[in-house]
Amino acid sequence: MMSDQKKSDKEGLKALRQQRKASIERARKAIKAQNQNVKAIREQMKSGGKTIPEIAAGAGLPTDQVLVYVASLKKYGMVIEGPKDGDYFKYELAPK
Amino acid sequence: MEPSRELNFDALVIGGGIAGLQAALDLADQNFKVAIVEKDATIGGKMIRLSKVFPTLDCASCITTPKMAASAHHENISIFTYCDLTSLKRDGQEIKADITQMPRYVDADKCIGCRQCEYGCPVYVPNHEEGNFNFRKAIYIPFSNAIPQIALMDVENCSLCGKCAKVCPTGAVDYFQQPEDFVIRAKTAVLATGFKLTPMDQKPQYGGGKIQNLISSLDMERLLAPHGPYQRVIRPSDGKEPDSIAYVQCAGSRDKTLGVPYCSRVCCMYAIKQAMLLSGALPLADITIYYMDIRAFGKGYEQFFQNAKAMGIEFVKAKIAKIEQADNQYVRLRYEDQEGNGGVVEREHDLVVMSLGMVPDWNPAGVCDVACDTDAFIKSTIPSLAPTVTSIEGVFAAGVAIGPKDIVDTIAEAGAAAMEASKYLNALENPKAA
Ligand SMILES: Cc1cc2nc3c(=O)[nH]c(=O)nc-3n(C[C@H](O)[C@H](O)[C@H](O)COP(=O)(O)OP(=O)(O)OC[C@H]3O[C@@H](n4cnc5c(N)ncnc54)[C@H](O)[C@@H]3O)c2cc1C
Ligand code: SF4
Ligand code: SF4
Repeated sequence: MMSDQKKSDKEGLKALRQQRKASIERARKAIKAQNQNVKAIREQMKSGGKTIPEIAAGAGLPTDQVLVYVASLKKYGMVIEGPKDGDYFKYELAPK
Repeated sequence: MEPSRELNFDALVIGGGIAGLQAALDLADQNFKVAIVEKDATIGGKMIRLSKVFPTLDCASCITTPKMAASAHHENISIFTYCDLTSLKRDGQEIKADITQMPRYVDADKCIGCRQCEYGCPVYVPNHEEGNFNFRKAIYIPFSNAIPQIALMDVENCSLCGKCAKVCPTGAVDYFQQPEDFVIRAKTAVLATGFKLTPMDQKPQYGGGKIQNLISSLDMERLLAPHGPYQRVIRPSDGKEPDSIAYVQCAGSRDKTLGVPYCSRVCCMYAIKQAMLLSGALPLADITIYYMDIRAFGKGYEQFFQNAKAMGIEFVKAKIAKIEQADNQYVRLRYEDQEGNGGVVEREHDLVVMSLGMVPDWNPAGVCDVACDTDAFIKSTIPSLAPTVTSIEGVFAAGVAIGPKDIVDTIAEAGAAAMEASKYLNALENPKAA
Protein backbone atom coordinates (compact mmCIF):
# COMPACT_ATOMS: atom_id res chain seq x y z
CA MET A 1 0.00 0.00 0.00
CA MET A 2 1.21 3.50 -0.83
CA SER A 3 1.54 5.77 2.23
CA ASP A 4 -0.66 8.89 2.41
CA GLN A 5 2.46 11.09 2.19
CA LYS A 6 3.70 9.34 -0.97
CA LYS A 7 0.26 9.54 -2.51
CA SER A 8 -0.08 13.27 -1.90
CA ASP A 9 3.50 13.86 -3.21
CA LYS A 10 2.59 11.96 -6.34
CA GLU A 11 -0.55 14.00 -6.83
CA GLY A 12 1.33 17.22 -6.08
CA LEU A 13 3.98 16.36 -8.70
CA LYS A 14 1.27 15.64 -11.22
CA ALA A 15 -0.22 19.09 -10.62
CA LEU A 16 3.24 20.69 -10.80
CA ARG A 17 3.93 18.96 -14.12
CA GLN A 18 0.70 20.38 -15.46
CA GLN A 19 1.54 23.85 -14.16
CA ARG A 20 5.05 23.83 -15.65
CA LYS A 21 4.10 22.07 -18.87
CA ALA A 22 5.81 24.56 -21.21
CA SER A 23 9.16 24.76 -19.39
CA ILE A 24 9.25 20.97 -18.84
CA GLU A 25 8.70 20.45 -22.57
CA ARG A 26 11.57 22.87 -23.34
CA ALA A 27 13.87 21.13 -20.85
CA ARG A 28 13.07 17.69 -22.29
CA LYS A 29 13.88 18.90 -25.80
CA ALA A 30 17.13 20.43 -24.51
CA ILE A 31 18.11 17.13 -22.82
CA LYS A 32 17.54 15.24 -26.07
CA ALA A 33 19.65 17.62 -28.15
CA GLN A 34 22.36 17.81 -25.48
CA ASN A 35 22.58 14.02 -25.16
CA GLN A 36 23.08 13.74 -28.93
CA ASN A 37 25.85 16.36 -28.84
CA VAL A 38 27.57 14.73 -25.86
CA LYS A 39 27.40 11.35 -27.60
CA ALA A 40 28.90 12.76 -30.82
CA ILE A 41 31.68 14.51 -28.89
CA ARG A 42 32.53 11.46 -26.77
CA GLU A 43 32.53 9.29 -29.90
CA GLN A 44 35.31 11.48 -31.35
CA MET A 45 37.47 10.99 -28.27
CA LYS A 46 37.11 7.19 -28.24
CA SER A 47 40.06 6.79 -30.59
CA GLY A 48 42.30 8.96 -28.36
CA GLY A 49 42.92 12.59 -27.42
CA LYS A 50 41.72 15.26 -29.83
CA THR A 51 41.79 19.06 -30.03
CA ILE A 52 38.57 21.11 -30.08
CA PRO A 53 38.77 21.79 -33.86
CA GLU A 54 39.36 18.05 -34.49
CA ILE A 55 36.39 17.03 -32.32
CA ALA A 56 34.22 19.71 -33.94
CA ALA A 57 35.12 18.62 -37.48
CA GLY A 58 34.41 14.96 -36.67
CA ALA A 59 31.17 15.63 -34.78
CA GLY A 60 29.88 18.22 -37.24
CA LEU A 61 29.42 20.83 -34.51
CA PRO A 62 30.75 24.42 -34.19
CA THR A 63 34.07 24.73 -32.30
CA ASP A 64 32.75 27.18 -29.69
CA GLN A 65 29.87 24.86 -28.81
CA VAL A 66 32.22 21.86 -28.58
CA LEU A 67 34.47 23.75 -26.17
CA VAL A 68 31.52 24.53 -23.86
CA TYR A 69 30.61 20.81 -23.80
CA VAL A 70 34.19 19.65 -23.31
CA ALA A 71 34.76 22.18 -20.49
CA SER A 72 31.56 20.92 -18.83
CA LEU A 73 32.39 17.22 -19.30
CA LYS A 74 35.77 18.00 -17.74
CA LYS A 75 34.08 19.77 -14.81
CA TYR A 76 31.83 16.76 -14.19
CA GLY A 77 34.77 14.33 -14.40
CA MET A 78 34.06 12.69 -17.77
CA VAL A 79 36.93 14.24 -19.75
CA ILE A 80 40.53 15.11 -18.90
CA GLU A 81 42.96 17.50 -20.51
CA GLY A 82 45.78 15.80 -22.40
CA PRO A 83 49.02 17.12 -23.91
CA LYS A 84 49.37 20.20 -26.09
CA ASP A 85 49.36 19.88 -29.85
CA GLY A 86 50.55 23.11 -31.47
CA ASP A 87 48.39 25.96 -30.15
CA TYR A 88 45.69 23.58 -28.90
CA PHE A 89 45.24 21.12 -26.04
CA LYS A 90 44.03 17.60 -26.61
CA TYR A 91 41.10 16.26 -24.58
CA GLU A 92 40.60 12.62 -23.63
CA LEU A 93 37.83 10.54 -22.10
CA ALA A 94 38.46 10.12 -18.37
CA PRO A 95 39.38 6.55 -17.38
CA LYS A 96 36.32 4.78 -15.92
CA MET B 1 0.86 37.25 1.10
CA GLU B 2 1.16 37.89 4.86
CA PRO B 3 4.73 37.92 6.15
CA SER B 4 5.45 34.61 7.83
CA ARG B 5 7.66 36.13 10.53
CA GLU B 6 9.13 39.34 11.88
CA LEU B 7 12.75 39.41 13.03
CA ASN B 8 14.55 42.05 15.07
CA PHE B 9 18.19 43.08 14.79
CA ASP B 10 20.34 46.03 15.78
CA ALA B 11 21.67 46.48 12.25
CA LEU B 12 20.59 45.40 8.80
CA VAL B 13 23.16 45.16 6.00
CA ILE B 14 21.87 45.04 2.44
CA GLY B 15 24.39 43.27 0.17
CA GLY B 16 26.86 40.55 1.08
CA GLY B 17 29.84 41.70 -1.01
CA ILE B 18 33.10 42.68 0.64
CA ALA B 19 31.62 46.03 1.77
CA GLY B 20 28.60 44.41 3.42
CA LEU B 21 30.65 41.62 5.02
CA GLN B 22 33.20 44.05 6.46
CA ALA B 23 30.51 46.37 7.85
CA ALA B 24 28.64 43.40 9.35
CA LEU B 25 31.78 41.95 10.95
CA ASP B 26 32.78 45.31 12.45
CA LEU B 27 29.31 45.75 13.97
CA ALA B 28 29.02 42.14 15.14
CA ASP B 29 32.43 42.36 16.85
CA GLN B 30 30.99 45.25 18.89
CA ASN B 31 28.26 42.88 20.06
CA PHE B 32 25.47 44.22 17.86
CA LYS B 33 23.09 41.71 16.29
CA VAL B 34 23.39 41.99 12.51
CA ALA B 35 21.36 40.64 9.57
CA ILE B 36 22.91 40.46 6.09
CA VAL B 37 20.39 40.29 3.24
CA GLU B 38 21.86 39.19 -0.10
CA LYS B 39 20.04 38.77 -3.40
CA ASP B 40 22.40 36.11 -4.79
CA ALA B 41 22.44 32.49 -3.64
CA THR B 42 25.88 33.12 -2.11
CA ILE B 43 27.64 35.93 -0.28
CA GLY B 44 31.03 37.27 -1.47
CA GLY B 45 29.98 39.73 -4.19
CA LYS B 46 32.40 40.42 -7.04
CA MET B 47 35.52 39.89 -4.96
CA ILE B 48 34.99 36.13 -4.55
CA ARG B 49 34.71 35.92 -8.35
CA LEU B 50 38.09 37.63 -8.99
CA SER B 51 41.36 35.78 -9.67
CA LYS B 52 43.97 37.85 -7.84
CA VAL B 53 43.81 41.42 -6.56
CA PHE B 54 45.94 44.45 -7.34
CA PRO B 55 48.26 45.79 -6.10
CA THR B 56 49.42 42.86 -3.94
CA LEU B 57 48.44 40.02 -6.34
CA ASP B 58 46.98 38.11 -3.40
CA CYS B 59 44.65 35.28 -4.41
CA ALA B 60 41.15 36.82 -4.18
CA SER B 61 39.52 33.63 -3.01
CA CYS B 62 42.17 33.12 -0.28
CA ILE B 63 41.43 36.51 1.26
CA THR B 64 37.66 36.67 0.66
CA THR B 65 36.72 33.15 1.79
CA PRO B 66 37.90 33.74 5.42
CA LYS B 67 35.75 36.91 5.61
CA MET B 68 32.77 35.01 4.20
CA ALA B 69 33.31 32.16 6.65
CA ALA B 70 33.84 34.55 9.59
CA SER B 71 30.49 36.21 8.80
CA ALA B 72 28.71 32.89 8.36
CA HIS B 73 30.03 31.56 11.69
CA HIS B 74 29.74 34.76 13.74
CA GLU B 75 27.28 34.32 16.59
CA ASN B 76 25.98 37.87 16.10
CA ILE B 77 25.42 37.62 12.31
CA SER B 78 22.45 36.04 10.52
CA ILE B 79 22.72 35.70 6.75
CA PHE B 80 19.71 35.60 4.43
CA THR B 81 20.64 34.70 0.84
CA TYR B 82 18.55 34.51 -2.34
CA CYS B 83 16.35 37.35 -1.10
CA ASP B 84 14.41 40.06 -2.87
CA LEU B 85 14.22 43.30 -0.91
CA THR B 86 10.79 44.72 -1.74
CA SER B 87 10.70 47.68 0.66
CA LEU B 88 13.11 49.47 2.99
CA LYS B 89 11.64 52.32 5.01
CA ARG B 90 12.02 54.23 8.21
CA ASP B 91 9.15 53.28 10.52
CA GLY B 92 9.27 55.49 13.61
CA GLN B 93 12.45 54.65 15.53
CA GLU B 94 13.17 51.64 13.32
CA ILE B 95 14.10 50.65 9.80
CA LYS B 96 11.61 48.16 8.37
CA ALA B 97 12.57 45.86 5.50
CA ASP B 98 10.09 43.70 3.60
CA ILE B 99 11.87 40.72 2.11
CA THR B 100 10.89 37.78 -0.04
CA GLN B 101 13.13 34.73 0.20
CA MET B 102 13.06 32.94 -3.15
CA PRO B 103 12.57 29.19 -3.12
CA ARG B 104 15.73 27.12 -3.72
CA TYR B 105 13.54 24.01 -3.96
CA VAL B 106 16.06 22.52 -1.54
CA ASP B 107 15.63 22.38 2.23
CA ALA B 108 18.48 24.52 3.56
CA ASP B 109 18.51 22.64 6.87
CA LYS B 110 18.90 19.25 5.21
CA CYS B 111 21.27 20.04 2.30
CA ILE B 112 24.88 19.04 2.99
CA GLY B 113 26.28 20.49 -0.26
CA CYS B 114 27.40 17.09 -1.57
CA ARG B 115 26.48 17.97 -5.19
CA GLN B 116 25.10 14.51 -5.95
CA CYS B 117 21.95 16.17 -7.31
CA GLU B 118 24.08 18.30 -9.66
CA TYR B 119 25.99 15.30 -10.98
CA GLY B 120 22.75 13.36 -11.43
CA CYS B 121 20.70 16.08 -13.15
CA PRO B 122 20.44 15.49 -16.90
CA VAL B 123 20.00 19.15 -18.01
CA TYR B 124 22.94 21.34 -19.02
CA VAL B 125 22.34 25.08 -18.64
CA PRO B 126 24.67 27.96 -19.71
CA ASN B 127 26.66 28.97 -16.62
CA HIS B 128 26.44 32.77 -16.24
CA GLU B 129 28.78 32.54 -13.23
CA GLU B 130 31.54 31.44 -15.62
CA GLY B 131 30.81 33.83 -18.50
CA ASN B 132 28.77 31.05 -20.19
CA PHE B 133 32.09 29.33 -21.00
CA ASN B 134 30.76 26.08 -19.52
CA PHE B 135 27.49 24.57 -18.34
CA ARG B 136 26.02 24.06 -14.91
CA LYS B 137 23.00 21.82 -14.27
CA ALA B 138 19.36 22.68 -13.56
CA ILE B 139 20.13 21.99 -9.88
CA TYR B 140 23.51 23.28 -8.75
CA ILE B 141 25.73 24.92 -6.18
CA PRO B 142 26.82 28.32 -7.60
CA PHE B 143 30.57 27.61 -7.25
CA SER B 144 32.97 25.62 -5.11
CA ASN B 145 33.61 28.34 -2.53
CA ALA B 146 30.04 29.67 -2.38
CA ILE B 147 28.67 30.28 1.11
CA PRO B 148 26.27 28.77 2.01
CA GLN B 149 27.02 25.48 0.22
CA ILE B 150 23.35 24.80 -0.46
CA ALA B 151 22.02 23.68 -3.83
CA LEU B 152 19.32 25.54 -5.72
CA MET B 153 17.08 24.50 -8.54
CA ASP B 154 16.43 26.56 -11.64
CA VAL B 155 12.86 25.49 -12.37
CA GLU B 156 12.79 27.25 -15.75
CA ASN B 157 15.26 24.63 -16.99
CA CYS B 158 14.12 21.65 -14.93
CA SER B 159 12.37 18.72 -16.61
CA LEU B 160 10.99 17.55 -13.27
CA CYS B 161 12.48 14.12 -13.91
CA GLY B 162 12.85 13.40 -10.20
CA LYS B 163 16.48 12.27 -10.43
CA CYS B 164 17.83 14.86 -7.97
CA ALA B 165 15.34 13.83 -5.28
CA LYS B 166 16.21 10.19 -5.90
CA VAL B 167 19.98 10.64 -5.49
CA CYS B 168 19.94 13.19 -2.65
CA PRO B 169 21.23 11.35 0.46
CA THR B 170 19.39 13.62 2.91
CA GLY B 171 16.00 14.04 1.24
CA ALA B 172 16.65 17.78 0.86
CA VAL B 173 15.05 18.32 -2.55
CA ASP B 174 11.62 19.92 -2.15
CA TYR B 175 9.78 20.51 -5.43
CA PHE B 176 6.97 22.29 -3.61
CA GLN B 177 8.91 25.00 -1.81
CA GLN B 178 7.26 28.43 -1.96
CA PRO B 179 8.63 31.99 -1.69
CA GLU B 180 8.59 33.23 1.90
CA ASP B 181 7.76 36.82 2.83
CA PHE B 182 9.23 38.10 6.07
CA VAL B 183 10.04 41.37 7.80
CA ILE B 184 13.27 42.53 9.37
CA ARG B 185 13.17 45.41 11.85
CA ALA B 186 16.47 47.03 12.77
CA LYS B 187 17.61 50.24 14.40
CA THR B 188 20.11 51.07 11.67
CA ALA B 189 20.99 49.88 8.17
CA VAL B 190 24.01 49.83 5.86
CA LEU B 191 23.45 49.78 2.10
CA ALA B 192 26.28 47.88 0.39
CA THR B 193 24.67 46.92 -2.90
CA GLY B 194 27.75 47.30 -5.11
CA PHE B 195 27.88 47.39 -8.89
CA LYS B 196 27.38 45.58 -12.14
CA LEU B 197 29.24 46.10 -15.41
CA THR B 198 27.77 47.95 -18.38
CA PRO B 199 26.45 45.46 -20.97
CA MET B 200 28.72 44.02 -23.69
CA ASP B 201 26.16 44.79 -26.40
CA GLN B 202 25.70 48.44 -25.53
CA LYS B 203 27.71 49.94 -28.41
CA PRO B 204 26.94 48.99 -32.02
CA GLN B 205 30.48 50.05 -33.03
CA TYR B 206 31.77 47.41 -30.60
CA GLY B 207 29.89 44.63 -32.39
CA GLY B 208 26.67 44.65 -30.35
CA GLY B 209 27.78 41.64 -28.26
CA LYS B 210 28.13 39.30 -31.24
CA ILE B 211 31.90 39.12 -31.71
CA GLN B 212 33.65 35.85 -30.84
CA ASN B 213 36.65 36.15 -28.51
CA LEU B 214 35.56 39.58 -27.32
CA ILE B 215 34.98 39.15 -23.58
CA SER B 216 34.35 41.28 -20.48
CA SER B 217 36.91 42.02 -17.78
CA LEU B 218 34.98 39.88 -15.29
CA ASP B 219 35.04 37.00 -17.83
CA MET B 220 38.83 37.34 -17.91
CA GLU B 221 38.92 37.18 -14.10
CA ARG B 222 37.19 33.79 -14.41
CA LEU B 223 39.58 32.58 -17.13
CA LEU B 224 42.50 33.51 -14.88
CA ALA B 225 41.01 31.96 -11.71
CA PRO B 226 42.43 28.56 -10.72
CA HIS B 227 38.91 27.07 -10.59
CA GLY B 228 37.82 28.85 -13.77
CA PRO B 229 35.86 27.30 -16.64
CA TYR B 230 38.89 25.95 -18.55
CA GLN B 231 41.42 26.12 -15.69
CA ARG B 232 43.68 27.95 -18.14
CA VAL B 233 43.40 30.85 -20.59
CA ILE B 234 42.25 29.69 -24.01
CA ARG B 235 40.17 31.30 -26.76
CA PRO B 236 36.44 30.64 -26.16
CA SER B 237 35.77 30.21 -29.89
CA ASP B 238 37.92 27.08 -30.36
CA GLY B 239 40.26 26.43 -27.42
CA LYS B 240 43.36 27.95 -29.03
CA GLU B 241 45.98 29.26 -26.63
CA PRO B 242 46.10 32.97 -27.50
CA ASP B 243 49.27 34.52 -28.96
CA SER B 244 47.97 38.02 -28.70
CA ILE B 245 45.59 39.56 -26.15
CA ALA B 246 44.38 43.17 -26.01
CA TYR B 247 42.48 45.40 -23.57
CA VAL B 248 40.06 48.11 -24.62
CA GLN B 249 40.05 50.66 -21.80
CA CYS B 250 37.10 52.96 -21.01
CA ALA B 251 34.87 50.57 -23.00
CA GLY B 252 31.81 51.84 -21.16
CA SER B 253 33.10 54.64 -18.97
CA ARG B 254 33.84 58.31 -19.74
CA ASP B 255 31.29 58.03 -22.53
CA LYS B 256 28.32 60.40 -22.39
CA THR B 257 26.52 58.48 -25.15
CA LEU B 258 26.26 55.52 -22.77
CA GLY B 259 25.13 57.64 -19.83
CA VAL B 260 28.39 56.86 -18.00
CA PRO B 261 30.37 60.12 -18.16
CA TYR B 262 32.47 59.24 -15.11
CA CYS B 263 35.68 57.21 -14.76
CA SER B 264 35.11 53.74 -13.23
CA ARG B 265 38.43 54.13 -11.36
CA VAL B 266 39.49 50.50 -11.12
CA CYS B 267 39.65 49.45 -14.80
CA CYS B 268 43.17 50.75 -15.51
CA MET B 269 44.50 48.90 -12.50
CA TYR B 270 42.65 45.62 -13.08
CA ALA B 271 43.65 45.64 -16.76
CA ILE B 272 47.31 46.06 -15.74
CA LYS B 273 46.86 43.31 -13.12
CA GLN B 274 45.28 40.92 -15.62
CA ALA B 275 47.98 41.74 -18.19
CA MET B 276 50.67 40.85 -15.63
CA LEU B 277 48.90 37.59 -14.71
CA LEU B 278 48.54 36.74 -18.42
CA SER B 279 52.20 37.33 -19.09
CA GLY B 280 52.92 34.88 -16.27
CA ALA B 281 50.43 32.29 -17.59
CA LEU B 282 51.30 32.76 -21.28
CA PRO B 283 54.91 33.99 -21.40
CA LEU B 284 55.02 33.98 -25.22
CA ALA B 285 51.83 36.02 -25.74
CA ASP B 286 51.85 39.70 -26.78
CA ILE B 287 49.69 41.81 -24.50
CA THR B 288 48.51 45.28 -25.47
CA ILE B 289 46.48 47.79 -23.48
CA TYR B 290 44.70 50.49 -25.54
CA TYR B 291 44.05 53.37 -23.15
CA MET B 292 42.98 57.03 -23.00
CA ASP B 293 44.91 57.84 -19.78
CA ILE B 294 46.28 55.49 -17.15
CA ARG B 295 44.84 56.38 -13.75
CA ALA B 296 47.09 54.74 -11.17
CA PHE B 297 46.00 56.80 -8.19
CA GLY B 298 46.44 54.53 -5.14
CA LYS B 299 49.39 53.67 -2.93
CA GLY B 300 51.88 51.60 -4.89
CA TYR B 301 49.75 51.75 -8.05
CA GLU B 302 52.13 53.87 -10.18
CA GLN B 303 54.92 51.38 -9.40
CA PHE B 304 52.57 48.57 -10.42
CA PHE B 305 52.05 50.31 -13.79
CA GLN B 306 55.79 50.84 -14.27
CA ASN B 307 56.43 47.17 -13.45
CA ALA B 308 53.92 46.15 -16.13
CA LYS B 309 55.75 48.27 -18.72
CA ALA B 310 59.05 46.74 -17.65
CA MET B 311 57.53 43.27 -18.14
CA GLY B 312 56.97 44.09 -21.82
CA ILE B 313 53.26 44.86 -21.78
CA GLU B 314 52.55 47.26 -24.62
CA PHE B 315 50.59 50.44 -23.82
CA VAL B 316 49.03 52.17 -26.83
CA LYS B 317 47.39 55.57 -26.32
CA ALA B 318 44.22 55.32 -28.38
CA LYS B 319 40.44 55.31 -28.09
CA ILE B 320 39.20 52.25 -29.97
CA ALA B 321 36.66 53.42 -32.57
CA LYS B 322 35.49 50.10 -33.94
CA ILE B 323 35.66 46.40 -33.09
CA GLU B 324 34.96 43.77 -35.76
CA GLN B 325 35.18 40.03 -36.30
CA ALA B 326 38.17 39.23 -38.51
CA ASP B 327 38.99 35.96 -40.29
CA ASN B 328 40.05 32.91 -38.27
CA GLN B 329 38.09 34.14 -35.26
CA TYR B 330 40.47 37.05 -34.67
CA VAL B 331 39.15 40.35 -33.32
CA ARG B 332 40.03 43.48 -35.33
CA LEU B 333 40.46 46.81 -33.53
CA ARG B 334 40.43 50.10 -35.38
CA TYR B 335 41.82 53.30 -33.86
CA GLU B 336 43.42 56.61 -34.62
CA ASP B 337 47.17 56.54 -34.07
CA GLN B 338 47.96 59.28 -31.53
CA GLU B 339 51.62 58.56 -30.92
CA GLY B 340 53.19 57.44 -34.25
CA ASN B 341 52.55 58.75 -37.73
CA GLY B 342 48.83 59.39 -37.22
CA GLY B 343 46.09 57.95 -39.41
CA VAL B 344 43.75 55.02 -38.88
CA VAL B 345 45.39 51.80 -37.69
CA GLU B 346 43.91 48.28 -37.65
CA ARG B 347 45.29 45.45 -35.54
CA GLU B 348 44.05 41.93 -34.94
CA HIS B 349 44.19 39.94 -31.71
CA ASP B 350 43.26 36.39 -30.64
CA LEU B 351 41.36 37.59 -27.60
CA VAL B 352 40.14 41.08 -26.66
CA VAL B 353 38.97 42.16 -23.20
CA MET B 354 36.53 45.04 -22.68
CA SER B 355 37.19 47.10 -19.55
CA LEU B 356 33.50 47.86 -19.09
CA GLY B 357 32.05 50.63 -16.95
CA MET B 358 30.72 50.18 -13.42
CA VAL B 359 27.07 51.07 -12.78
CA PRO B 360 25.00 50.55 -9.61
CA ASP B 361 23.62 47.03 -9.15
CA TRP B 362 20.59 48.35 -7.26
CA ASN B 363 18.06 50.94 -8.26
CA PRO B 364 16.24 51.90 -5.05
CA ALA B 365 13.29 53.47 -6.92
CA GLY B 366 10.02 52.10 -5.58
CA VAL B 367 11.78 50.18 -2.78
CA CYS B 368 13.52 52.79 -0.71
CA ASP B 369 13.49 56.58 -0.92
CA VAL B 370 17.22 56.99 -0.27
CA ALA B 371 18.56 59.82 -2.48
CA CYS B 372 20.78 58.97 -5.44
CA ASP B 373 23.25 61.18 -7.29
CA THR B 374 23.00 62.12 -10.98
CA ASP B 375 25.29 59.13 -11.68
CA ALA B 376 22.61 56.87 -10.06
CA PHE B 377 24.91 55.74 -7.21
CA ILE B 378 23.64 56.34 -3.65
CA LYS B 379 24.20 59.95 -2.62
CA SER B 380 26.53 60.78 0.24
CA THR B 381 24.84 63.75 1.86
CA ILE B 382 28.04 64.86 3.65
CA PRO B 383 30.64 63.70 1.07
CA SER B 384 33.63 65.60 2.45
CA LEU B 385 33.19 64.88 6.15
CA ALA B 386 31.08 61.73 6.48
CA PRO B 387 30.89 59.99 3.08
CA THR B 388 28.83 57.06 4.35
CA VAL B 389 25.89 59.20 5.57
CA THR B 390 22.80 58.98 3.30
CA SER B 391 19.61 61.00 3.06
CA ILE B 392 17.77 58.69 5.51
CA GLU B 393 18.50 59.05 9.22
CA GLY B 394 20.23 55.95 10.56
CA VAL B 395 20.87 54.52 7.08
CA PHE B 396 24.48 54.47 5.90
CA ALA B 397 26.14 53.27 2.69
CA ALA B 398 29.50 51.75 1.79
CA GLY B 399 31.56 50.45 -1.11
CA VAL B 400 30.74 50.75 -4.79
CA ALA B 401 27.07 51.36 -3.88
CA ILE B 402 28.19 55.00 -3.39
CA GLY B 403 30.51 55.13 -6.40
CA PRO B 404 33.28 53.17 -8.17
CA LYS B 405 36.24 52.29 -5.97
CA ASP B 406 38.75 49.51 -5.35
CA ILE B 407 38.74 46.93 -2.57
CA VAL B 408 41.08 48.87 -0.27
CA ASP B 409 38.80 51.93 -0.33
CA THR B 410 35.69 49.73 -0.12
CA ILE B 411 36.93 48.06 3.06
CA ALA B 412 37.96 51.39 4.62
CA GLU B 413 34.54 52.83 3.79
CA ALA B 414 32.73 49.76 5.16
CA GLY B 415 34.60 50.25 8.45
CA ALA B 416 33.53 53.90 8.46
CA ALA B 417 29.88 52.98 7.79
CA ALA B 418 29.99 50.44 10.64
CA MET B 419 31.42 53.11 12.94
CA GLU B 420 28.66 55.58 11.98
CA ALA B 421 26.05 52.86 12.54
CA SER B 422 27.58 51.93 15.89
CA LYS B 423 27.64 55.59 16.96
CA TYR B 424 24.00 55.87 15.94
CA LEU B 425 23.06 52.72 17.90
CA ASN B 426 24.89 53.94 21.00
CA ALA B 427 23.14 57.31 20.79
CA LEU B 428 19.76 55.54 20.65
CA GLU B 429 20.65 53.52 23.76
CA ASN B 430 22.13 56.44 25.59
CA PRO B 431 20.74 59.72 24.21
CA LYS B 432 22.36 61.85 26.93
CA ALA B 433 25.88 60.71 26.02
CA ALA B 434 25.35 61.50 22.33
C1 LIG C 1 37.05 42.89 -13.55
C2 LIG C 1 37.26 43.52 -12.22
C3 LIG C 1 38.44 43.28 -11.53
C4 LIG C 1 38.68 43.92 -10.30
N1 LIG C 1 39.87 43.69 -9.67
C5 LIG C 1 40.15 44.36 -8.52
C6 LIG C 1 41.41 44.19 -7.87
O1 LIG C 1 42.25 43.43 -8.33
N2 LIG C 1 41.67 44.92 -6.74
C7 LIG C 1 40.75 45.81 -6.23
O2 LIG C 1 41.05 46.46 -5.23
N3 LIG C 1 39.53 45.96 -6.80
C8 LIG C 1 39.21 45.26 -7.93
N4 LIG C 1 37.97 45.42 -8.52
C9 LIG C 1 36.96 46.25 -7.81
C10 LIG C 1 36.21 45.40 -6.76
O3 LIG C 1 35.51 44.39 -7.44
C11 LIG C 1 35.26 46.26 -5.94
O4 LIG C 1 35.99 47.28 -5.31
C12 LIG C 1 34.55 45.46 -4.84
O5 LIG C 1 34.07 44.23 -5.31
C13 LIG C 1 33.38 46.28 -4.30
O6 LIG C 1 32.70 45.56 -3.31
P1 LIG C 1 31.19 45.91 -2.90
O7 LIG C 1 30.87 45.04 -1.76
O8 LIG C 1 31.04 47.38 -2.76
O9 LIG C 1 30.30 45.51 -4.19
P2 LIG C 1 29.93 44.07 -4.81
O10 LIG C 1 31.10 43.18 -4.83
O11 LIG C 1 29.24 44.40 -6.08
O12 LIG C 1 28.88 43.46 -3.78
C14 LIG C 1 27.56 43.94 -3.66
C15 LIG C 1 26.65 42.82 -3.19
O13 LIG C 1 25.34 43.35 -2.97
C16 LIG C 1 24.38 42.46 -3.53
N5 LIG C 1 23.18 43.24 -3.84
C17 LIG C 1 22.99 44.16 -4.83
N6 LIG C 1 21.74 44.65 -4.78
C18 LIG C 1 21.10 44.01 -3.76
C19 LIG C 1 19.78 44.09 -3.23
N7 LIG C 1 18.86 44.92 -3.72
N8 LIG C 1 19.45 43.30 -2.19
C20 LIG C 1 20.37 42.45 -1.66
N9 LIG C 1 21.65 42.34 -2.13
C21 LIG C 1 22.01 43.12 -3.16
C22 LIG C 1 25.08 41.89 -4.75
O14 LIG C 1 24.49 40.68 -5.16
C23 LIG C 1 26.50 41.71 -4.22
O15 LIG C 1 26.68 40.47 -3.58
C24 LIG C 1 37.70 44.80 -9.74
C25 LIG C 1 36.50 45.01 -10.43
C26 LIG C 1 36.28 44.39 -11.65
C27 LIG C 1 35.01 44.66 -12.39
S1 SF4 D 1 14.08 17.19 -11.35
FE1 SF4 D 1 14.94 18.93 -12.47
S2 SF4 D 1 16.67 19.63 -11.24
FE2 SF4 D 1 16.12 17.57 -10.55
S3 SF4 D 1 17.44 16.20 -11.74
FE3 SF4 D 1 15.51 16.36 -12.88
S4 SF4 D 1 15.85 18.06 -14.30
FE4 SF4 D 1 17.47 18.19 -12.77
S1 SF4 E 1 20.22 18.85 -2.38
FE1 SF4 E 1 20.86 16.83 -1.63
S2 SF4 E 1 22.14 15.99 -3.27
FE2 SF4 E 1 21.96 18.21 -3.64
S3 SF4 E 1 23.77 19.10 -2.62
FE3 SF4 E 1 22.07 19.14 -1.16
S4 SF4 E 1 22.29 17.25 0.05
FE4 SF4 E 1 23.53 16.97 -1.82
